[in-house]
Amino acid sequence: MNRIFLVLVFLLSINLYANEMAEGLRAEDIIKKLDENMRGENISMTLSMKIVSQGHTRTMKMQSFSQGTKKSFTKILYPPKDRGITFLSLDNQMWQYIPKIERTIKIPPSMMLQNWMGSDITNDDMVKQSSIVEDYNPKILETKGRLVTIELLPKEEAAVVWGKIIINIDLDTYTSQKDVFYDEDGKEVRVFIYDKVQKIGNYYIPTLWRIESSEKKNRYTEILLEDVKYDTEISDAYFKKSALKRFSR
Amino acid sequence: MFSLALKNILFYKGRSITTVLLTFVSAMLFVVYVSMMDGSHKSMLENSLKIYTGAIEIYKKEYRDVGGNEYLIKDVEKITKKLELINGVKSYTTRYETYGLLSSKENSSASMIAGVEALKESEHSSIQKALVSGKYLSDLSGNCLYMGDGLVKKLKISLNDELAFVGAASDDSFAADIFKLCGIFKTGSFGFDSTSSFVSRDYFDALMYADNKASYINIKVDNLEDVERIKADIQKALNDDTLEVLTWKTLMKTMVDAMEVDSIFGYISLALFLIVIFFVIMIYGFVNISSRIKEFGVLESIGLSNTNILKLLFYEIFILTSLAILIATPIAASITYYYTQNPIIIEGISEMYKDYGIVSDEIPFDFNPFTIIWNIGVIYLLNLISIIYPYLYIKSFSPIEASHHV
Repeated sequence: MNRIFLVLVFLLSINLYANEMAEGLRAEDIIKKLDENMRGENISMTLSMKIVSQGHTRTMKMQSFSQGTKKSFTKILYPPKDRGITFLSLDNQMWQYIPKIERTIKIPPSMMLQNWMGSDITNDDMVKQSSIVEDYNPKILETKGRLVTIELLPKEEAAVVWGKIIINIDLDTYTSQKDVFYDEDGKEVRVFIYDKVQKIGNYYIPTLWRIESSEKKNRYTEILLEDVKYDTEISDAYFKKSALKRFSR
Repeated sequence: MFSLALKNILFYKGRSITTVLLTFVSAMLFVVYVSMMDGSHKSMLENSLKIYTGAIEIYKKEYRDVGGNEYLIKDVEKITKKLELINGVKSYTTRYETYGLLSSKENSSASMIAGVEALKESEHSSIQKALVSGKYLSDLSGNCLYMGDGLVKKLKISLNDELAFVGAASDDSFAADIFKLCGIFKTGSFGFDSTSSFVSRDYFDALMYADNKASYINIKVDNLEDVERIKADIQKALNDDTLEVLTWKTLMKTMVDAMEVDSIFGYISLALFLIVIFFVIMIYGFVNISSRIKEFGVLESIGLSNTNILKLLFYEIFILTSLAILIATPIAASITYYYTQNPIIIEGISEMYKDYGIVSDEIPFDFNPFTIIWNIGVIYLLNLISIIYPYLYIKSFSPIEASHHV
């Protein structure tokens, strides 16, 4: 009798361990696919950003080019006052060129959590300094049909700005529907809501993003992605420091 | 009864001298210690208030907790006009503060940059007095930047160097400019000097679209003791639920709390000392009275009432305490007065305690007659209480028992 019991306990343990492993791998795979959809090999797009705060709306337009996870270049196209401001991120470092003062400025790591251009996204979002694939441990919290909720907790050694991220992913397209960001104390800081998923080449991408600050009510940022192109030829010239001034014009 | 008490004091010399000495030491120590504690707290507070924080400040609600351009004061003139009518408001100044990136050729640093009304600011804070090189701001100083010594070191710049500023204007649009370092200050407050820089309000307003806007309004009052009354008057005059009027007690809550905790620990250690003194005096009194039981028995037998015995003990301790206090008070008061005028200097103490708002190596005392009076009052009270137990002990004997006591 005791032997049978021990064998059952042993089999149950193996089964639990196997499930855990499978779930862990699966969560990582989902996050990896989601990340691939957002980045491709490379991606270029035009973005319209609407920032609503203090009862008024501000609109910006930008052009963006990204190569993998380490290189990206962004140029402000509109409004005319800010036209020509460029941003470059290389290997988790970020620079900014401001034509008005003709200066290139390096953004220090301490400012990575600062809002970017008065919007609800941060410098860290622009640089993607922290990678959801490399810097966080994913864990499936809930699965409802084709919708899976994954919790991302930072790896011990990772230098990240968020204490926790909860992502709701549609498994049909491997795109996120909603991301909730928490600080180190577990306090909700902001919410990304995604909509209008489009299939572009081999990738799916939500083309309407809405970012809401959890602290500041009546304030949000909407980003509309237009003219999204994956895996095209993007000149390496965009990812050099000289590009900041060169492509500013 | 008074003359009998006097005779007893002279007769029991040992007990009398010990009581006077103990009372003298405790009174001296109490007055001097409280003066030093109050002085250092007052100094911390005054230094901090002088550096930058106002006696009263007016904010849009949520500005201090959440921050951001949504919580700027939008119609400054309307508020300041009302302030001019309030009794006790000495002067006011408006500040527009923002956090942005300052970048030299080599280094960048996040910094608090404040647009200030240069002339008024010099009356409201010690930043002008803290000038160490270059020059202070004026209303016409344009893109001149007046920067803390710590931040200058962090950015590795020197006078007349140019700095790029990048930040968000009051409408959240992008703001950037080139500033020139015209002056360097050092207040001694490490945190302040390593994060702060100032620019003329007029110039900054144009850059940040901040005309008639302010992060807050800083108010100087005629008398710091009246802040609560003035606060109430301001609230009444403004009659605006979206604004909050805060006094230094809230603005510097961390420091006020730290001072309170420090005072509590100070008083606890002092109380322990006073309790020891109290028991020594009481035990001496008790031993003395124990040896005089027979005397009290005889006195009761010839008609002395319990009230008169209490009176006798009271006079004895009162005379001894008064004698000690009469000697101790002028000496203690002189010491506290002297060190109020000439603070003790301990080299390096400001460096050690800079995080607690200590910006000077001086340890000033606080000469306050009212404080001395209540300190002396406490000593009197303790000494008077010390006769209760010996009195109850005498009372437990009947006159016959007492007169036969050996």
